[in-house]
Amino acid sequence: MSDQSPDKESQPDGCDEGMTRRSFLRKSAVLTTGLAALAAGLSPLLGIENFPSMQEFMQKYYKELTPEEMAKVLERIEREVEKQYGIRPHVRDLKPMDGVEYVYCLNLSRCIGCRKCVHACVAENNQSRNPEIQYIRVLQMQNGSFDMEKAVHDYNPEKVPEKGHFYMPVQCQQCKNPPCVKVCPVHATWKEPDGIVVIDYSWCIGCRYCEAACPYWARRFNFAKPSIPKERLNPEMDYLSNRPRKQGVMEKCHFCLQRTRAGSYPACLEVCPTGSRKFGNILDPNSEVSYILKNKRVFIQLKEELGTSPRFYYYFDV
Amino acid sequence: MKDSPKITVVLNVLIVVFLALAVTFLVRSRNNQVALQKIPLVDPDYIKTATVRASYAELAGAKEDLSDFDCYGCHEKGKPPTLRFDDKHILIVPEEHKDIVMGHGRNNRNNICTNCHDETNLELFQTRDGRQLKFSESSQLCGSCHGPNYRDWEAGAHGRTSGYWKRDMGPIVRKDCVSCHNPHSPKFPGRHPAPPPNMLHPLAKPTPVAEGEH
Repeated sequence: MSDQSPDKESQPDGCDEGMTRRSFLRKSAVLTTGLAALAAGLSPLLGIENFPSMQEFMQKYYKELTPEEMAKVLERIEREVEKQYGIRPHVRDLKPMDGVEYVYCLNLSRCIGCRKCVHACVAENNQSRNPEIQYIRVLQMQNGSFDMEKAVHDYNPEKVPEKGHFYMPVQCQQCKNPPCVKVCPVHATWKEPDGIVVIDYSWCIGCRYCEAACPYWARRFNFAKPSIPKERLNPEMDYLSNRPRKQGVMEKCHFCLQRTRAGSYPACLEVCPTGSRKFGNILDPNSEVSYILKNKRVFIQLKEELGTSPRFYYYFDV
Repeated sequence: MKDSPKITVVLNVLIVVFLALAVTFLVRSRNNQVALQKIPLVDPDYIKTATVRASYAELAGAKEDLSDFDCYGCHEKGKPPTLRFDDKHILIVPEEHKDIVMGHGRNNRNNICTNCHDETNLELFQTRDGRQLKFSESSQLCGSCHGPNYRDWEAGAHGRTSGYWKRDMGPIVRKDCVSCHNPHSPKFPGRHPAPPPNMLHPLAKPTPVAEGEH
């Protein structure tokens, strides 16, 4: 539509074509539509429930934080958790111990598939109850076969163990050659000297490449804001392990580093009624894991052919 | 722009349609929150770490009631109790001890009280190699027959060890055999498993494999 009209006066700012009311209205209608479409396209952002605070957003990378800055970060986390849950937690930043490399041994002859480890882990590590996140998944396998395609995840009989099956709990294997660490584009996850593969929840961007890379499906993503009932919050926290996560970050088993780096056993081991789980320092010749790896005969590492070198050794002994 | 009324009309209609779509989208996405399925909280019994039984040493240590272990409260000293068997040579458990269900060993091999209890002194155990053991030393009695498990238990590889893996940072708690195993019927009965995972979508069930097929 031409805006040229013979009787139109030229604008003082030198613009040759004037803006008629018609063209203004048309252009603003188009602009409004465009803006509305943009707003509609961005509307999922309305669903995000916890944006990081400015301090968290401007926080430096974990490995570059000085101890004073780390203390401030921990204090900020304690304040935020107290504001949200009403309980003041104790958040630490435990460093790996020297001369320690963790190994987990799991006796498949003894596991009865009771899933107590699953729920003890959930309680200890402040995982979301709804939507549900559980780091450990117990597989019901058929006797005589290690075919995980035939495993049942949601078994719920009257009594376990059921005849003809054995039970295999799977969690993060804390690989010595972790594929998840290789694919992280921002280095939010890395392998620590004591063998634990950790995630910095404040640095993770939630791209889920690590979830795709992990052959054991160890990594869990927070699709929604995690909901933890206040009365079940575990206030003994660590920066890299069980502080409450936010929507949009990955999480996984971290060998309960808030307990194990302080010298105690992980929660899954403490609750196992048959004592199938054994944990310790492989560099210590007197630990029970050293005894097991020296004396038991049949060891299985999951998906060994992929070369991930997991720290989890499954064995049979009867 | 061409001075064509058709194009103008079409463009205007498109503008209106897109505006309407945008408004609908905005309004609906605000109100249409997907409801999360109800997932009940797990029963706290499933996260308790206590063993199902308590050994004599634990009961004595906690100053609990030990009257169950007071054999000579009913039995006479110096008069060994007689064992009665039925015609299939299965032990008949007397009425006073009817809470004991004998199931130690397959095919009733070990269901004879005096294999473990010393009939001359009921407050002691006896091993097959002639040792006499107190109630608090019951694990040695078990180990006198179950050697490999006893050796593993001493190393920490059998049974439950809780507390500190780093022994110099804190105490460990080792459980005796009878804290988990009922000595008269040691095989674990089954138990109901804790609730299965709540899938966001159901997993495709594996093709059922017939018996004998691998």
